[in-house]
Amino acid sequence: MKVFTIIAATLSPSLASADWETNMPIGVTPTSEIAYDIHMLIFYITVVIGILVFGAMLYSIIYHRKSIGAKPAQFHESTKVEIIWTVIPFIILVGMAIPATKALILMEDTRDSEITLKVTGYQWMWQYEYLEDDVSFFSKIDDESNKARQLNSGIDVNQVKNYLRNVDNIVVLPTNTKIRILLTANDVIHAWWVPELGGKKDAIPGYINELWVDIKKPGIYRGQCAELCGKDHGFMPIVVQAVSKTEYHKWVSIQQNNKVAKNK
Amino acid sequence: MNKDMKKTYYLLTIFTVFMFSFSYMLVPLYDIFCEVTGLNGKTNQTKVSVINEQPTERFVKIKFTSTVANSAPFIFEPINKEMNVQVGKIYTTFYTLTNNSNKIKHATASPSVVPSQDAEFFKKIECFCFSQQEVGAFETKELPLQFIIDNELRNETKTLVLSYTMFNTTEQVGLNSENKVYE
Amino acid sequence: MSTDIEKLDDHHHKPSGIMRWITTTNHKDIGTLYLWFSLIMFFIGGAMALVIRAELFQPGLQLVVPGFFNQMTTLHALVMIFGAIMPAFVGLANWQIPLMIGAPDMALPRLNNWSFWILPFAFTMMLSTLFFEGGGPAAGWTLYPPLSLQGGDSMPFVILSIHLFGLSSILGAINIIATILNMRAPGMNLMKMPIFIWTWLITAFLLIAAMPVLAGAITMLLTDRFFGTSFFTASGGGDPIMFQHIFWFFGHPEVYILILPAFGVISTIIPAFSRKKLFGYDSMVYATASIALLSFIVWAHHMFTVGMPLAGEIFFMLTTMLIAVPTGVKVFNWVATMWKGSMTFETPMLFAIAFIVLFTIGGFSGLMLAMVPADFQYHDTYFVVAHFHYVLVPGSLFGIIAGVYYWLPKWTGKMYDETLGKIHFWLTTIFVNLTFFPMHFVGLAGMPRRIPDYAIQFADFNAIASIGAFGFGLSQLLFLYILLKTLKQDVTAEDKVWEGAEGLEWTLSSPPPYHSFEKPPRVE
Repeated sequence: MKVFTIIAATLSPSLASADWETNMPIGVTPTSEIAYDIHMLIFYITVVIGILVFGAMLYSIIYHRKSIGAKPAQFHESTKVEIIWTVIPFIILVGMAIPATKALILMEDTRDSEITLKVTGYQWMWQYEYLEDDVSFFSKIDDESNKARQLNSGIDVNQVKNYLRNVDNIVVLPTNTKIRILLTANDVIHAWWVPELGGKKDAIPGYINELWVDIKKPGIYRGQCAELCGKDHGFMPIVVQAVSKTEYHKWVSIQQNNKVAKNK
Repeated sequence: MNKDMKKTYYLLTIFTVFMFSFSYMLVPLYDIFCEVTGLNGKTNQTKVSVINEQPTERFVKIKFTSTVANSAPFIFEPINKEMNVQVGKIYTTFYTLTNNSNKIKHATASPSVVPSQDAEFFKKIECFCFSQQEVGAFETKELPLQFIIDNELRNETKTLVLSYTMFNTTEQVGLNSENKVYE
Repeated sequence: MSTDIEKLDDHHHKPSGIMRWITTTNHKDIGTLYLWFSLIMFFIGGAMALVIRAELFQPGLQLVVPGFFNQMTTLHALVMIFGAIMPAFVGLANWQIPLMIGAPDMALPRLNNWSFWILPFAFTMMLSTLFFEGGGPAAGWTLYPPLSLQGGDSMPFVILSIHLFGLSSILGAINIIATILNMRAPGMNLMKMPIFIWTWLITAFLLIAAMPVLAGAITMLLTDRFFGTSFFTASGGGDPIMFQHIFWFFGHPEVYILILPAFGVISTIIPAFSRKKLFGYDSMVYATASIALLSFIVWAHHMFTVGMPLAGEIFFMLTTMLIAVPTGVKVFNWVATMWKGSMTFETPMLFAIAFIVLFTIGGFSGLMLAMVPADFQYHDTYFVVAHFHYVLVPGSLFGIIAGVYYWLPKWTGKMYDETLGKIHFWLTTIFVNLTFFPMHFVGLAGMPRRIPDYAIQFADFNAIASIGAFGFGLSQLLFLYILLKTLKQDVTAEDKVWEGAEGLEWTLSSPPPYHSFEKPPRVE
């Protein structure tokens, strides 16, 4: 039964934070959906090719064996056949390349973004700056996870909520808004990745990279650093909360008021 | 050892030496490739000399941002966070750099532009990034940037982001000496 | 292995005991040295893998601190790539190339000895860094700056070790090319060479092209750290991404270096046990050469998330997809060799068939990784780890094991225990899949690479993978037992051990004389 569930789960999109998860999430942005579609397309094509090739091998193993008296044939070359199985795969590849190239052009188009979020990777936390709204803060792994993850902490991590995927300061973003995310780093190369938002880019010290997201559904989305950056690479989570535009503007005002209050 | 053998060794040894030097050749080749194509968000590293100002009807938004590298004791901010500029016209803006320590520091800025395909059109006439800056203890300096957006800027671009990362280059062996990798 | 060969030798001043092995210039002895060395390194690299899998068995940190975990992942890769897989293939090359082309030995026998003996020194130095105060290297085997520049006394020692590995490989490759091009028996023209020779010839060219580039890249790291250069630091006008370009310009041909000799082994074994000639010999040669050439123009597919311009992403996506064509041709040719053959399934054949199926699965995940829009979700996750372990373990490693089972009776004159061999095969194959298949799932579900601990939703498949890893590791002890048992055997093997085997090595006795083909044979 479990095997069937696994197969069914593979052929269907994932549910957030389910155990035994076997597939990529469809996610909540145009880019995550594109990634999922290309992924599934290539996957299905390779499954078909696999069935054909391994099927031929299985047939051969059963029927072309010495123990049932099979005699070896003498053929050992055929230019015609070589051409066929060079050209047909090439055509299949062209068939894959076209949608993939179209998808890629779309994913790399950062024009017409409404707000800009600058993300700076540190060893071992993230800094977020909302450039238009002048909001800025650091975000690191929350205390509960951080305590539990220490070697021989004695804490049962299964009891920690969102273990290793919880932070002290959440990134709040508006839905249905094209957001340009700028990436850089303070010290070494990091990478910012939230699977359900699609897209992943390296955060490189001295350089700026960009990525765009347009979050279609409100909710909480979790990710983490995706480039080895030292001993606590595994402990730099990312939590994004997507809310309506009105909620977002309320949140921004609160952040700005807090900043003014702090500076007094 | 016969002639053919000798020839084989000779050629293979030359090939090996060539491939080693090729890896060093990749260094300037990489820079040339990036400069010619504007890839990697690299803008001009040295001053652009002759500039003909031919202001156009077109306006683009430039956002300015800053990062301090390796948690150096600097405060480094753009004075203008955003400018609406006319393509083909020369502009001047400033960044401030404060040395928050009680020793003289040297600092070097590294610029980066996105979208990277537009980097080659962001031409810097005078830039504090062309040379190393010296800042005294607790001193604040105003660092000038004079630039022009080239008329050849791609039609679809409406916004550019210019980012500077400021590095503490006081000691030559400049990397963060804290041993962050091991424990 | 030792006593029979010594009896047949009539050198007057040949040393025995330890000195024999230190000073030998005989390709058979040196092949043996490489193979035993690689087996030892395989167990060391395997032990490191088991530390990793033991820690990853459950969420939470139970065994090691994160810094040490990173040392394990870094050294596991360096040991397996440079200490296990590459030397094993060089061992097969040393034993087989002179025998298959009818040559008395390699072109430069003394250089051959040095090429081997560099390795134990280099690896002792590299592994000793684990005992340094700051520990061993922990920035990943890919050594990306700025992280790799951040410190640790181990760094210069690791860089020197890698230089030595490279030197050993380059000298070995020169030797191999010189031997193959100049010492073939009369009548053996290039398109009559055994396919294993072709794959090693092409691999040797790749080695000479790629290893010096790695040498350049790591020297740049060294001077950036100690001598004030700034190849990779933005403050000095350098670029960390340039390292990645230089490294992967080496790195991609490197992975073909790791697989092409395995292709040669499989192309030898499948025809032998199908009792049918290899289908499309010429095609196989051209396909191998195409793969080698293409391998130089795909490197940036390891770097799709660095912020490459669109044109670059498209170019590298297309060239990477293109490699699937000659690789597919090879797979189809192997299947066509099996087709309408008369197959038996001794241990070498079992490993060879498993290679075709499982390497192809690795190829499929490779094709998926080539698609940039999807790669943004795969990059730096366990999906990549699954991919490269499928092509390296049931790929390269199975190729080596198949070659060892196939040629061991020839080298030693003793037959291995076929029942035990089959058990070793089935255990290995089952556990290899149990270990690496679940990694596809956790990667897709969002688990990044190189982390010592993970969120709870990844726990179940990680537990399965860890169980598989321990099973796989224990099964290789069985392999060691089989090897030792074979050496103790009394039963001698035939000259032509396998009914369907073809090639000059099968015209010699098992074991062959210490010096064989002192007079070149005639080839039709």
